[in-house]
Amino acid sequence: MNIRRHRAILLAYLGMIVLLLLTSVVAPGFLSATHLRSTVVLAAFIGIVALGQTFVIIGGGIDLSVPWVLNSAAVLMTLLAGSQDAPLLWIVPVLLAAGALVGMVNGFGVAIFGVPPIIMTLAVNVILQGGILVYTGGAPTSTAPKAIQFLAVGRIAGFPVVLILWIALAAIATILLSKTAFGRHLYAVGTSATVAEFSGVPTLRTTVLAYTLSGFTAALAGMLLTGYTAQAYLGMGDPYLFTSIAAVAIGGASILGGSGHYIGTIAGALVLTILTGLLPALNLSSGALLIVYGVVILVTVSLASEALSGLSAFLPRFGRSRGPSA
Amino acid sequence: MTELLNATAITKRYGGITALSRADFSARAGEVHALLGENGAGKSTFIQILAGAVRPDGGTVTLAGSPYRPRNPQEAQQSGISPVFQELSLVPDLTVEENIWFRREPLSAIRTVRARAMREATLELFARHKFPPIRPDQELRRLTLAERQVIEIAKALSRDPQVLILDEATSALGPQETEWLLGLAKGLAEAGRLVIYISHRLGEVRQIADRITVFRNGATVAAYDTHAVDDETIITDMLGRRMDRLYPERKSTASQTVALGLRGFGVDHRLADIDLDLREGEVLGVAGMQGHGQRELFQALFGIGGSRGTVEVWGKPKTIRGPRQALTGRDGLALVPEDRRNHGLLLSKSVRENLTLSVIQRFTRFGITDPKRESALVDEMIATLKIKTGTPEQLAGTLSGGNQQKVIFGKMLLTEARILLLYDPTRGIDVGTKGEIFQLMRDLAAKGYAILFYSSDLAELVHVADRVAVLRNGRLAAILEGEDNSERQILRAALIETRAA
Repeated sequence: MNIRRHRAILLAYLGMIVLLLLTSVVAPGFLSATHLRSTVVLAAFIGIVALGQTFVIIGGGIDLSVPWVLNSAAVLMTLLAGSQDAPLLWIVPVLLAAGALVGMVNGFGVAIFGVPPIIMTLAVNVILQGGILVYTGGAPTSTAPKAIQFLAVGRIAGFPVVLILWIALAAIATILLSKTAFGRHLYAVGTSATVAEFSGVPTLRTTVLAYTLSGFTAALAGMLLTGYTAQAYLGMGDPYLFTSIAAVAIGGASILGGSGHYIGTIAGALVLTILTGLLPALNLSSGALLIVYGVVILVTVSLASEALSGLSAFLPRFGRSRGPSA
Repeated sequence: MTELLNATAITKRYGGITALSRADFSARAGEVHALLGENGAGKSTFIQILAGAVRPDGGTVTLAGSPYRPRNPQEAQQSGISPVFQELSLVPDLTVEENIWFRREPLSAIRTVRARAMREATLELFARHKFPPIRPDQELRRLTLAERQVIEIAKALSRDPQVLILDEATSALGPQETEWLLGLAKGLAEAGRLVIYISHRLGEVRQIADRITVFRNGATVAAYDTHAVDDETIITDMLGRRMDRLYPERKSTASQTVALGLRGFGVDHRLADIDLDLREGEVLGVAGMQGHGQRELFQALFGIGGSRGTVEVWGKPKTIRGPRQALTGRDGLALVPEDRRNHGLLLSKSVRENLTLSVIQRFTRFGITDPKRESALVDEMIATLKIKTGTPEQLAGTLSGGNQQKVIFGKMLLTEARILLLYDPTRGIDVGTKGEIFQLMRDLAAKGYAILFYSSDLAELVHVADRVAVLRNGRLAAILEGEDNSERQILRAALIETRAA
C-alpha cells in the first residue's frame, strides 16, 4: 500500500530480530521454546492494550485512560465473580461493554467538545482510579475465576490460548485498518481532520469508534491479565500506559497520527517484552533496571518513530522544493 | 544599461529529474522583470537558488558584477535579495509586527523587545509603501489569506531589498490589493530596485513588467521587452506548442430546471438577502472584492458554519448541516475549496487515497473494500482529468499545483453530486492546466452539472461563466449576462453603489 509504512514496519521487525539475537548471546537459553512462549504471552497483553491505542493514535489522538480502564475491569471482574466461573458469562460482556463505553465518552469529549485528547483521557483515567479506590476501599480483591485463568495461561494442544486470542484480534485489526471504510477514514482524520471533514468523512463517528475500541481492548486486557496473575490488584494497569504507546511508536506509527499499522504494533509489543526479559540478565538492581528500560525505550522510539515518520512529515515540503513544481 | 543580476547556464538536478538545465536570466536595476513559465518549468527552483534556499549544480550568478553564491537564505537577504513566496512563512500565533520583524526585533540593552520602536518601524513601513489598512497588533491567525500575503510582502520589504522577488504574490489577493501591489512593484522599480515578478496572470504582467523571460522545461526559451511582444507569442513560448485558446467556446447549455435555488440566504452579518437561481447546465459566476461574502456563500452552501434562508436543491428544500451531508446522494453539492493544501488534499497520502476519500462506499462490499474496483475508479479519473502522476501511489504533496487541483476535482467528481461549488479553482495554476479546467467546467455543464464558480480573476468569470452574480458588502449587487458580463461592469457593480441592480 504505502512504501514508507512498509519500511517502518519492516524496520520494527528487523529490530526485533536483532534484539532476539543479542539476547541469545547475553542470556543463553533465552531462545528456548519455553522462554519464547512466555515472552509471546507477555507480549500479548501489551499487544491487546496497544491494539486500541494504535487506532486512537492513527486517528491523531492518544488514550491515557488505558491503565485504569484495564485496572477497573480487572478489579470489578474479581469482585463481581467472587472466584466463580458461572457469573463470568454476564460479567465479561458487561465489563467489555463498560470499557467500550468509557472509550466512547473519551471520544465524545474529544470529538464533540474539543477537549484535547491528553486532558480528556487523563481526566477519565484519574476519575476511574478514584472510583475504584472508593469502591474497594483500597483493599485487594479475591482470586481470579478458573475460566479466566485458562484463557490467560492455558494451552490448547500446547498452544497458549491467549496467543490464539491475540492472533484473532490482530487479524480483525488488520482487516479494519486495511480493508474497511472505517480504516480509510481513520487515516484521513489522523492526517488532517479538516481535509477529512471537507471530504465528507464522518470524522465524529470515526474518532469515537477509535476511542471506543481502545476502551474495549483495555478492559479485555485487564481481565486476561487478572487471569495471568491470578489476582487483580491496584496499579496493575500502570505499566501499560507507557508500553501501549511505545509499542505503537516502535511499530512505525507517527505519534502525530495518520500513519502506522497494527502489524507494526505487534513487533513493538514483542520488542518491549524481549527488552524486559533481557534487562534482568544484566544483573541490575530493580531501580537501575527501570532507568535502563526507560532510556532504551526512549532511544528505540526516537529511532523508529522520529527518523521515519518525522522525516515523512517533512516529505511534502521536501518534495516540493525538489519536485517539478514551479 | 548595466545588468544587476546575471545568471548563466544554471543547472539543478534532483536525482533523475532535471529542474533547471542551463537556464539564463538577466535583469537590470530599475525594472520589473517578469519570469513566466508553466508549472514545472523551473521557475521555483530558480527563485530558490536566488533566495539561497537551494544551491545550483552548475552555472554562475553575478550580482552587481560580483559572484553571488549564497549558502543560505540569510546570506541572500544580506546581499539584498528578498523573496516573497507563495507558501506563506508566517507564524500564526504572533502578531503582524512580530512577524514582520521576526528575529530582527529592535532590542533594548537587556535584549528585550522594544515594543514602541517596533510599532513605529511597522507604521513607518506601512506608510512608506501605502499598505492596505491592517492593525500591527493583530494576531496573524485572525487575518484573511489575502492579508497574510500582504504581511508576507511587508516582511520582505522591511529588509529594504535591492531585489524583490514576488512569486505568485497576487494569487491570494483581491482586486484592490492586487492593484496596490502592482503599483508598489512599479514604484520600487522607479526607485531603482529590481522586482522579479512571477505570475500566471498575463494581464498583470503586461501592466507592470518592462521585460519578460520565459522558462520552459528548465531552460530559457525567450526574453523580450513587454511592449514588443503579444500574448499569443508569450503563451506559445510557455507551452512550446500553439495553445488553441485559453478559454473554451461558451455555448449555453442551461436548461430551465433550477438546480440550486436560494431565497433570503444569509450568514450572520456577512451575507444577507441572497436570492439566486443556479440552473442545470449553467456556469454561474460569482464575483466580489475580497471579503464581500463570497467565501461565506460557498462555505455555508457546503454546510460549514450556519446559515439562514431557504435552499432548494433540484426543486426540494434541503438543510445542509455539514460537508458529509452536502456531498451525499444525487442531490448533493461538492466543493472545490479555496485552500488546496489545508482543506482540499491529504498531502502526505497518495493520489489514490485522496481521489477516493469521499466515495469509499462505492467500492466496499459487505464492509470490505475491493482494491480492483478502487483502482478502476482511480485509473478512470486520472485518465479523464489527465492528472500527471507517476503512479496512483505517488504522494499528492509531490504533484504540481495544477495536478493537485485536478485530484481535488476528481475526488468531487467521483461523488454523485451534480452541483459543483468551485472557489477560485485556478488560483496559482499554470496556463495549460487553467485551460483544461475551463474546458472541463464547460463539458460538465453540458452534461447537466450546475456550477457555481467564484474567481478572483475577473477575466475568467467574463469568459467562462454564463452569468455573473456580483456581491458587494454581503449582498447581491447585480447579476450580469450577455454584453454586461464584462470586467468593467463587474468591477463597477462590486465597487460602486448602484440603484438599478
